[in-house]
Amino acid sequence: MTAAGSDQVLPLGLRERVLAASLRARAAGRAEPAAPEISPAEAFSRAADAFDGTLGLLDGRQWQVPALRGLDVQGLVGHLTGVEEDVHRGLAGDPEVAAADHVASTQPAADRQAGCSPAQTRAEWRRAADRTVDLVRGADLRAVVAVHGIQVPLGLLLVVRAFELWVHDNDIRAAVALPPAVPDASTLTLMTGAAVGLLPFAVARAGLTDPLRLHLVLTGPGGGTWDLAVGQGPSAPAAVAIVTDAVGFCRLAGNRVTPAGLDPHVTGDQDRATAVLAAVATLALD
Amino acid sequence: MKGTDGLLAARLAAGDELALAEAFDQFGSAVYHAALRVLRNETAAQDIVQDVFVELWCRPDRYDPALGTLPAYLIVIARNRAVDMVRSELRRVARQDRSGRLEAEEASPSPAEEVIASHVAAAVRAAVQLLPDSQRRIVELAYFGGLTFKEAAKVAGIPEGTAKSRIRLALAKLEDELDASLLESS
Repeated sequence: MTAAGSDQVLPLGLRERVLAASLRARAAGRAEPAAPEISPAEAFSRAADAFDGTLGLLDGRQWQVPALRGLDVQGLVGHLTGVEEDVHRGLAGDPEVAAADHVASTQPAADRQAGCSPAQTRAEWRRAADRTVDLVRGADLRAVVAVHGIQVPLGLLLVVRAFELWVHDNDIRAAVALPPAVPDASTLTLMTGAAVGLLPFAVARAGLTDPLRLHLVLTGPGGGTWDLAVGQGPSAPAAVAIVTDAVGFCRLAGNRVTPAGLDPHVTGDQDRATAVLAAVATLALD
Repeated sequence: MKGTDGLLAARLAAGDELALAEAFDQFGSAVYHAALRVLRNETAAQDIVQDVFVELWCRPDRYDPALGTLPAYLIVIARNRAVDMVRSELRRVARQDRSGRLEAEEASPSPAEEVIASHVAAAVRAAVQLLPDSQRRIVELAYFGGLTFKEAAKVAGIPEGTAKSRIRLALAKLEDELDASLLESS
């Protein structure tokens, strides 16, 4: 017995049988080959090592190259030293740092690099990052930490911090004409998971309230597939599918590329898809 | 974004079940008919289709868009699996001939397996008879006679390398013949 399509003839039930057998052999959603799982602390540690590796490539002149928001490379490294110091305070439950502004609070650390040698700046940042690693070793990753206006579980905070180090790593690389860095697949898996987890929050904050069923496919190492229901309301949800590469999506979440620059493959309402991606960029995980 | 096949493969690697369904809808028929051309049995061809798509889903990284199109890749897998099935059946038939019995020697196959096996076996036997004498002789010795390549070469009075070469040629012709015989009958 067969099922006939125009000129295609297949036995009845074969499609369902093949799809079911495939999904029994490998569940949908996760990337294949799967990256080895690592902890958020390990992801942060790897991001710190990668950042330190980039600093090791710079000559003295390159430390003075403008990098971001009026900061040269040395000042940006100083900013990150300040972030680490604020995280240390957040881990200790300091209420002042909980509400502090991310840039303003770390500006003194950036400013004090003036007059320091690059080696001193690099060593100070490395000590601060290593201190973070020491402080979170064995800590409860579910414990909520409040720093720079966000309150999130420690595990998520560490992934966000890995995000930040990677984004600034590439800010520095772009400033001195080095090729961009890409996190390893295990770290990237945590980063994409964090960004997708925060997506509904970003969409709601952007005022996109109409219900939407989003099928999001992030390709390449660290990717995966997610089906998200965002927005709410009485109307039937629209359906949008977005396919883009995982690294590009993370660059978007770091506000380092525009939705158009991603060149995503979209099925469904293009405008809604663009609005969702624009909301992701507002996460600004840098 | 990547080309169509590359994009589909990337989506499969990302665990996108919609991509799996799309791949089946686009290429399932071609894969099925490729298997059917070799096997001439619907049930066996369906098994091959399932194997091919499970492999595509579980190991999408094995497909390299730079080396060819996705349907071509899937059809090659289907043909290879089908030919493997035929070769396996060839060996089974040879074992039966050696023992002089018509019944299977080992675990009793199911009625469905018997039907598939008899179809394939008949096709294989017919195809073997169409081989050139030199190739048929060495195939009969190696597969139906149960000899190793070295032993078969000695009996045939030819070097072992020549025997292997003739068997390779014979197996390639068997595959072509099995395809052609189906096309003629369809």
